[in-house]
Amino acid sequence: MALNITEQQALAELRLDQTRPFRLTDHLGAVRAASVIAAVILWEIFGRQVNPLFLSYPSAIARAFFQLLAAGELQRQALGSLQVFAVGLGAALILGIALGLLMGRYRLAEYALDSYVYAFDATPRVALIPVMLLWFGLGTSSKIAVVFISGLFLVLMNTFSGVRTVSAQLVEIGRAYGASERTLFGKIILPAALPFIMAGVRLAVGRALIGIITAEMFTAVTGMGALLIRYSSALATDKFFVPVIFLSLLGVALSAAVEKLQKRLAPWKETERAL
Amino acid sequence: MSGPSNEQIIEELGLRRERRWSLYDQPNLIRAASLLIFLTLWEFYGRRTDPILFTYPTAVAQAFWSLLWSGELIRQMGVSLSALAAGFGASLVLGVVIGLVMGRSRLAEAILEPHINALYAIPQVALTPLLMMWLGLGFGVKVGVVFLFAFFPILINTASGAKNVSASMVEVARAYLAPPGQILFKIICPAALPFIMAGVRIAIGRALVGMIVAELFTAITGLGAMLSLYGNIFETAKMFVVIIVLGLLGIGLIRGTQWLERRLAQWKETERALG
Repeated sequence: MALNITEQQALAELRLDQTRPFRLTDHLGAVRAASVIAAVILWEIFGRQVNPLFLSYPSAIARAFFQLLAAGELQRQALGSLQVFAVGLGAALILGIALGLLMGRYRLAEYALDSYVYAFDATPRVALIPVMLLWFGLGTSSKIAVVFISGLFLVLMNTFSGVRTVSAQLVEIGRAYGASERTLFGKIILPAALPFIMAGVRLAVGRALIGIITAEMFTAVTGMGALLIRYSSALATDKFFVPVIFLSLLGVALSAAVEKLQKRLAPWKETERAL
Repeated sequence: MSGPSNEQIIEELGLRRERRWSLYDQPNLIRAASLLIFLTLWEFYGRRTDPILFTYPTAVAQAFWSLLWSGELIRQMGVSLSALAAGFGASLVLGVVIGLVMGRSRLAEAILEPHINALYAIPQVALTPLLMMWLGLGFGVKVGVVFLFAFFPILINTASGAKNVSASMVEVARAYLAPPGQILFKIICPAALPFIMAGVRIAIGRALVGMIVAELFTAITGLGAMLSLYGNIFETAKMFVVIIVLGLLGIGLIRGTQWLERRLAQWKETERALG
C-alpha cells in the first residue's frame, strides 16, 4: 500500500531513517575491552618506572610465569597444595554431612551439639591456625586440619538446615509404607537436603582454599602459600604475582566445577538457599 | 442448639490429659548437660596431657583473669578494634559510593566491572604479603588488609541493590521533576539499603578475619599478635583466651549487624546476599 503525500511528509518529518547519534552506552562491550587494555598498558608503563622491589608489571609477570612453569616449581607446589586440599575437604564433607543429618533428624543430637556448632561457626577459623600448628606441627597434617575446620561448619550448617526443611509429609508417607530409617535417609531425606548440601559445599570450597593458603603462608614450608611468602620475602614481586594469579584462576575453576556438579546432582530444586 | 459443648467433648476424649514429661521439651537442659559433660571431660583429660600442647578450662579461666587484670587484653583489643573500625569504615564509605555509581551508570559499570571481578576472584589473603611490602608492619597494613577483605562484598551488594531499584519509581520521581539528589537519597538509597546491609553483614565477618590475618603475620600488636606470640612460647591457656575473645567478638559483631539490619531496613524482608 503506497503512502499518500501527506503521510510521506509526516514520515519525513519524524526522520525515522536518521541514524542514532553515537553514544558510548551503545558500545558497552567496547568500553569494557578498552578499560581492560588501558589498565594493562598503564600498569606496564607505571610499573616499569616504580622500583621493581615494590611493584611489577604485566610483561615481567608473564615472563616469570613461564620461567616458573618451565622449572616445574609451580606444578610441584600446586600439586602438593591440591592433595592436602582434597583430603581435608573430603574429610570435612563426610563428617559435616553425617553430623548435619544426625542433628537435623534427631533432636537429642541437635540440642547436645548446636551450642558448639554455633560457637565454632562464629569464631574466625584463621584464629585456630596457630593452635593447629601447635598440635599437628608444620607438615601436611596441620594443613589438612586447617582445610578440614575451614570447610566443616559450612557443610554441617547447610546440611542441618536442609534436613530441617524436608517436608514432614514425605517422611510420614514413607513411614506409613513401612520404610526403614535407612530407606528414609537414603531415599527421602538425603535427596531433599542435597541442594542445601551442595550450596554448603560451594561455600566450603572457597573457604577451604583461603584456609590452605593462610596455613601455608604461616608455615612457609611447602605449597602455594609458601611460594607467596618466599617471593615476597625475597622482594621478587614479578614471581609473587604468579601464584596470586594461579590461585585466582584455581578459585574460579573450583567454584565453577562445584556449580556444575550441583546442577547435575541436584537438578530438582533450583532455589537452594545458602547460609 | 443442645448437645455436648466443646468443653465436654474435650473432656470425654481425654485431650486434657497431662502430657508426659519428655526430655525433648527441655532443650536447654540437654544443652546444659552436654556443656557440663564436655567441660568436665576437657578438665579431666586436659590436666593429664602436656600443658605445652593442651590446656584445661580452669587454666583458661585463670589466664583470662590474669590477662584482664594486667590490662594487656584490653589494650591489645583496643588496638585491634581501632584498626578494624578504620578499615571497615573506609570500605563502607568507598564500597557504597562506588557501588551506587556502578549500579546507576551503565558506563561506569562497563569500565569498572572487569577490574572488580578480577580483584574479587583473587583470594584476598594472598595479597597480604604485598600489602605488608607496601604499607610496612604497623597500623596502616592492618587497615589496608581489613579494607581489602571487607570492600568487595559491600561494593557488589550495593551495586546490585542500586541496579534493582524499580524503574517505575525513578520514572515517577522524574516525571514530578525531582532533582537527581532527591532521586538518589529518597528513592535509590532506601531501595538499595537492604542489599547494602546484607553486604555489610558478610563484610563484617570477613573484616574480622582480615584483622586477625594481618596481625598474625605482622605479629607486633593486637589480638592476632597475642595469638601468634603465645603460640610461639607455648602458653596454650593464654592462646585459648584470645581465641574465645575473638569468637565472642565474632558473635557480637554479627548479632549487632543483624540488629542494625532489622532496624534500618525493615521494609524489605527478602533481601538477597551476593558474594
